[in-house]
Amino acid sequence: MNRTTKAAAALLTAVLAAACAQGSATRETAAEDGKVTLRYFTFSAAPDHVADLDSIVAAFEQQNPRIDVVVETAPFADYFTKLQTSIAGNTAPDTFELNYENFVTYADAGSLLDLDTAATGDDDYQPGVYAAESLKSFNHGGKQLALPASFSTVVLFYNKALFDAAGLPAPTADWTWADEQAAAAKLTDKKKGVYGDFQPVQFFEFYKTLKQAGGEFLSADGKKTTFDSPAGVKAATWLVDKVGSVMPTEAEIGGTADYDTNLFKSGKLAMWHNGIWQFAGMADAPFDWDVVVEPGDQTKASAVFHNAVAASATTKHPAEAWAWSRFLTSSQIMATTRIKNSWELPPVSDQSVLAGYLDAATKPANRQAVFDSLKSIALPPVIARQQEMQDTMTEELSNAAAGRKSVQQALTDAAAKIDGLLG
Amino acid sequence: MTRTKASIRLRYAGTVALFLLPSAIPLALFTLVPMAGSLWTSLHEWNLITPMRWVGLDNYVELLGEERTRAAFGHTLYFIAGYLPLVYAGGFGLALLLNRAMRGRNVLRAIYFLPVVSSWVVVALMWKWLLNPASGIVNQLLALVGLDGPGWWTDPDWAMPSIILASAWKDLGFVMVILLAGLQAIPQEYRDAAKVDGATGFKSFRHITFPLLSPATFFVVVISLINGFQVFDQVHVMTGGGPAGASQVVVEQVYDLTFRYGRAGAASALSWLLFVVILLVTLVQIRAQRRWVNYG
Amino acid sequence: MGKVLRAIPVLLGALVMLFPFAWTVVTSLTPDGALLSIPPDFAPGDASLDAYRRLLEAMPFWRIVLNSAWIAVASTVLQLLTSSMAAYAFARLPFPGRNALFAVYLATLMVPMQVLVVPLFLEMRAVNLVDTYFALLAPTIASAFGVFLLRQAIAQVPREFDEAAVLDGAGHLRVFAFVIVPLIRPALATFAIFGFIASWNSYLWPLVIIRSPEFMTIPLGLASLHGEFTTEWNVVMAGSVVSVVPILVLYLFAQKHVIASVAQSGLK
Repeated sequence: MNRTTKAAAALLTAVLAAACAQGSATRETAAEDGKVTLRYFTFSAAPDHVADLDSIVAAFEQQNPRIDVVVETAPFADYFTKLQTSIAGNTAPDTFELNYENFVTYADAGSLLDLDTAATGDDDYQPGVYAAESLKSFNHGGKQLALPASFSTVVLFYNKALFDAAGLPAPTADWTWADEQAAAAKLTDKKKGVYGDFQPVQFFEFYKTLKQAGGEFLSADGKKTTFDSPAGVKAATWLVDKVGSVMPTEAEIGGTADYDTNLFKSGKLAMWHNGIWQFAGMADAPFDWDVVVEPGDQTKASAVFHNAVAASATTKHPAEAWAWSRFLTSSQIMATTRIKNSWELPPVSDQSVLAGYLDAATKPANRQAVFDSLKSIALPPVIARQQEMQDTMTEELSNAAAGRKSVQQALTDAAAKIDGLLG
Repeated sequence: MTRTKASIRLRYAGTVALFLLPSAIPLALFTLVPMAGSLWTSLHEWNLITPMRWVGLDNYVELLGEERTRAAFGHTLYFIAGYLPLVYAGGFGLALLLNRAMRGRNVLRAIYFLPVVSSWVVVALMWKWLLNPASGIVNQLLALVGLDGPGWWTDPDWAMPSIILASAWKDLGFVMVILLAGLQAIPQEYRDAAKVDGATGFKSFRHITFPLLSPATFFVVVISLINGFQVFDQVHVMTGGGPAGASQVVVEQVYDLTFRYGRAGAASALSWLLFVVILLVTLVQIRAQRRWVNYG
Repeated sequence: MGKVLRAIPVLLGALVMLFPFAWTVVTSLTPDGALLSIPPDFAPGDASLDAYRRLLEAMPFWRIVLNSAWIAVASTVLQLLTSSMAAYAFARLPFPGRNALFAVYLATLMVPMQVLVVPLFLEMRAVNLVDTYFALLAPTIASAFGVFLLRQAIAQVPREFDEAAVLDGAGHLRVFAFVIVPLIRPALATFAIFGFIASWNSYLWPLVIIRSPEFMTIPLGLASLHGEFTTEWNVVMAGSVVSVVPILVLYLFAQKHVIASVAQSGLK
């Protein structure tokens, strides 16, 4: 062999040896002396709350020295890609986070551990620590298949400085669509690049405004859509008509990343429909802003985003998975950590724990609105082919917003397509 | 005599195997086996988290009858028809220009190569900003010359042209580098000889450069077509297939079906339909190459 | 005159090419507050390295860079070796079924990775290799793209060159290593760059196969900066700058090397 071939062969051997050595090294760390390694997969910790989660894990491991919790994260956009693949390959994480919309799919597929069974023998467990409605949301076919972990709601943010400058009274909890519309029209000043309102035209806003207008998305038996109705037209028109009048068009937004967040933060947006997860980012905005419960029409209805923790049906450590899930969703340290860092809200029933949220020194002042918004909530419709339904609805609504279809036509088309998905 | 012949033949077969096996084994294990797996999947209904259910050819039948499948192939062909000529002509021109002696040539080559090494996430963000219908620099420049710029990627009619433009921009450097490598391998004697014969400029290009470059050109065209049919990254990050499905290409559809809609079987079937199309196109090119590709 | 005329479009084009990169760098240096206006207005005085600092805090950055680098180098080295050898066979060693086999090689490029990811994951799972460096590397040990590129390059080499060597009694391994490889260095360098980029930017496969943070690669790290609702763009851009620089250095190095080798081989 000549030198080049020799060198290449040596390099090749080294590379392969290193690859294999690395592989086996990781495999061994998993099985330490008697210690149980429990994997937890999450989308809501990264990038902002990794340290917060770590502190919860540390507290848990201190109480349960035998359990080693390994946190794995993925960005939300890819989270379910990874989760599905790992379930397909029978390497599902022992415990993982699920949002309400996806919960049913995994529950139906039999991928989730029945937690009631896993809880047997845990005498400390009291279902009463959870807000009852929250707990019920993750009960499927009479089985508790996940524990509620956190929730957040959508409220109306408003720029108080802009309202004051225009001599308008600030929004209140009594506002209706008409009030919002009137104020938005007055506050919009396109020459200055100031917009009165911002509410995305998409599925999640539609199912909620539909409820506000007194309509329902699906029939009671869930077998047919019912949004192609006067209430549906009213709700869709409410969303679509804002575009271009009091709200920038798709073309004006031009795909700028986080356009609405930046518009509000730069003081050029008077009202903004968004979630309480924006509180932390807006805390240092250089003007006075606050929040109220979203205005309603026939009735009030607020969107709630609900996340839960589930255990894999195939986990080898059901008892440990239960202990961790319970700790992560109901322990005192979890509740205080979430509240202190505005990391969504803990789904606990104890109002005194939640009271801490109201005492926070940072904006917004009217944190009470977050709890008020929970008094009448709108849960999203959930079907087996969830994502296709969401995509279809958003696509048809944007057709209407862009003026390619009438609102009525868009709803009729969406209803026909979604009925097909239900069949 | 026959024994030695046989042993020579055996040694030759050994040599061929020695050269081929290092690539054939990994390709078989890590590409062909998964390909077979996806073929198997295409005959099932499967959402990845529940067990597979055999459905035979149903996925294929269903896909062939769907309007969405035709639309996805239509959008993909549209992309190729716009992208390939742009990127080839541009890349060829650049390679010729930057092959000549010129001050700062290496720096210029590196600059043209920048987009190739950048990630699509960054490139897409930037193009969305450049092509922003309201305040983007492109429409502002068009306004200067009195033109009313289109809605670009926010408008269903302009979404695909926007993607084509961004893709051609990003891949120019790729074509340039491959053709440059080809140009540099052309022995100078050939061109000197041509000069002696009085062939200069276009004539030299047509009779010397182009034929000698034809293997590299063949490579660029075949690979660009294979990649063009599988266009995904730029669509995924620029428009996600929208607006209103106007840029939904085949692989974007495959991705949605697998990972968002829980229809991995249909996704595999769609991939195999795509495979057949690409294979036919490539075979036609391999057939046709005898007429125009000049091998040493 | 002709020279100047030729330089103008090239320079203009270079500006168009440079602009986005400049924009990325500027965004990465923009402090949080200044990102707000639309379009972003930026005064050079405000430049801040905050985004880079946060990038270092958000993840074990050097570990991630090291991972990406070693995976990319390993896959490039392996691909160069396996592809150039196969390319030689396809270009210079006639055998029955050669064209058919070449078609099979090409066919491996024709099924999108998006659909191979799941079966490949199941295969790795079956042999217990999920979450290992080897699994990260496996799909990039051989490259049909490389075989094709290098076959075309070898085909361009006039046959007299290796025939002369064969007459001297050299075997195919020697011809390959001492005649062909030096002659196709431009193509090898080109392929090395593409192989490196492909591995360096690869996203879907690492996403699926890796779960331990210690195996994380740069694209996965950058993606982790995208939250469910918000993204810190200046940090993402800082990450992009950091991830592009090594490839650019590699390119400049390879380019120099290519030119040197062409000059050396006496072809120019």
